[in-house]
Amino acid sequence: MVYGSNQVWAPWTVDDIHSKADLGRYRIRGMSTHQKITHFDDLTFLSTGLTRFPLEGYKEQCNTRVELGGLNAENPLVLETPIYITGMSWGALSANAKTALGKAASMVGTASCTGDGGMLPAEREASDKLIYQVLPSRYGLNPNHMATAQAIEIVVGQGAKPGTGGLLMGVKVLDEVAESRDLPPGIDQRSPARHPDWLGPDDLAIKIEQLREATDWKVPIHVKLGACRVADDVKLAAKAGADAIVIDSMVAGTGASAEILLDHSGIPTVPAIVLAREALREIGLYRKVSLIASGGIRNGADVAKALALGADAVAIGIAALIALNCNRDIPEANFEQEIGLPAGSCNRCHTGKCPVGIATQDPELVKRLDPDEGAERVANFLNSMTMELALLTRSLGKGDVKSLEPEDLAALTIEASAMARVPLVGTDKVFGM
Amino acid sequence: MNRSIKAAVAEGVDEIVIKNPAARHNIAVGIRQSCKIMIEGSVGYYTASQLDGPEVSIVGNAGWALGENLMSGKITLSKNAGASVGASMRGGEMFVGGSAGARAGISMKGGTLLIGGDSGFLTGFMMQKGRIIVCGSVGDAAGDSMYEGTIYVGADVGSLGADAKYEEPTEDELIELWAELQRSGVDGKPRFRKIVSQKKLYHYDTLERLERTLI
Repeated sequence: MVYGSNQVWAPWTVDDIHSKADLGRYRIRGMSTHQKITHFDDLTFLSTGLTRFPLEGYKEQCNTRVELGGLNAENPLVLETPIYITGMSWGALSANAKTALGKAASMVGTASCTGDGGMLPAEREASDKLIYQVLPSRYGLNPNHMATAQAIEIVVGQGAKPGTGGLLMGVKVLDEVAESRDLPPGIDQRSPARHPDWLGPDDLAIKIEQLREATDWKVPIHVKLGACRVADDVKLAAKAGADAIVIDSMVAGTGASAEILLDHSGIPTVPAIVLAREALREIGLYRKVSLIASGGIRNGADVAKALALGADAVAIGIAALIALNCNRDIPEANFEQEIGLPAGSCNRCHTGKCPVGIATQDPELVKRLDPDEGAERVANFLNSMTMELALLTRSLGKGDVKSLEPEDLAALTIEASAMARVPLVGTDKVFGM
Repeated sequence: MNRSIKAAVAEGVDEIVIKNPAARHNIAVGIRQSCKIMIEGSVGYYTASQLDGPEVSIVGNAGWALGENLMSGKITLSKNAGASVGASMRGGEMFVGGSAGARAGISMKGGTLLIGGDSGFLTGFMMQKGRIIVCGSVGDAAGDSMYEGTIYVGADVGSLGADAKYEEPTEDELIELWAELQRSGVDGKPRFRKIVSQKKLYHYDTLERLERTLI
């Protein structure tokens, strides 16, 4: 017990109640959950010693290339690094940000993804490997655009707000964005939670076939799930015919979500990967249907741990935006004055007043992000992560990131041991098994 | 089958007849060139979906999501359509000779959907633009959460959905609607009821203290 502090009625809880008493509705913010969760930092690698020998950490060849969605597609998605840029909409992000992300992805041989709002032509031009999302809203969905994509992703749910649709405040639904989405300019857009043309997994199987037919069976069809009832959802998506399944955890980011959903729905990335892996293994499709993890991937160690737990690749959102300058005190910006929060703790993406020109449609703010310079930073970051991933992989005595496995890991906490299904350090016990 | 259709159209064939479709799903999907496709028999889900340009005529019934995401062109169905007919269509014209199931014109973004008979629950749900004309009755929650666009109903409305309201159609509108019915071979001149958005759900009512200073 700590005198003077109250765990239940903490200052932020009191402030939350005051805010809702003023507001009369749920609160909205961007970024990701504030919950304390078990994450990749709770796992550690068991590098080589006498039981096996390492590869030369800095130089020796280590393959980072992965192929996704090869089960049915004539042209699987081949990435030079198992890290790609997740779907973030033009609307939530500026055109400059989308273009920079597409360019960065091309610079390192990976993919970027459209998001809820259709395809921005500049992103298509910039991104050699573009994943085209099909969301419940169908904003801007155009079969002519879809036919140019390197993969299709059916979004069933999003980790930051599973069970509901996207949110874009009216300040961002300006003329071009509104036109692209067929919406009245300036409205607070609340996207549908359900797809308009299918409801359950049996329908999804027909929908997947439809998209294959529309794209001549050439490109993989991904299904993206918010990580909740992972085992059953993954089995149903695989049975419906998905070539790849994206598991987006409760740690995943967003430009706007009801705070109550961000903090009180979904499960963390570590158990989500393990549950998905086991579900695929149970139905004989592990390593046949590709598994992509997203949510809170920050560095090469997180990528390596996600791969060791069973993912084939990861998708990043917030980390890529931070590389683009999110929350950076650039000379043109005055965070305190412009957004009311200091650089480093801004989560006000939904207000459209992003001081660094990323999460905004304000033409003056957008100018603060140069797409070429931004692309350079994101490409550097992707390269850094890939080098970190390769370094760790070599230190484990392996020359291919696909060889990473759960046996390479140990847990630093009992909770992590139970969730990751790896032994607690200093013991040979896997908790919960 | 779709690849054969696309190949034939690419070679200059402009009229294609599909016989005995056996209610298969995904017939005539993703055709993005002008052509005429006649389907003789009933079809399954997603028939004539993701089209940009073709004219498709179906003699029979259709399953869910007929004409989904139609960009341009024309789809004619002689009998009944399942749920979600014209889902998310962005342009073009669709005519259903019989009745349609639930969610007709859901998330519609443009074009005209004309239903000769009745349509079910949630007709025009979250519709954004375009016109839905139902000559018969519609089920409950008509026009729920619609943004823009118009639903015309020739007979009864089960109930209005959230944020939908009735508006009196003008005589000019009625004359235009009757002409449209005549062009599609539908008899009668119903006194259509018109459903539009109240636009009360366009915005959150309130903003937080910090948001008020920013937005």
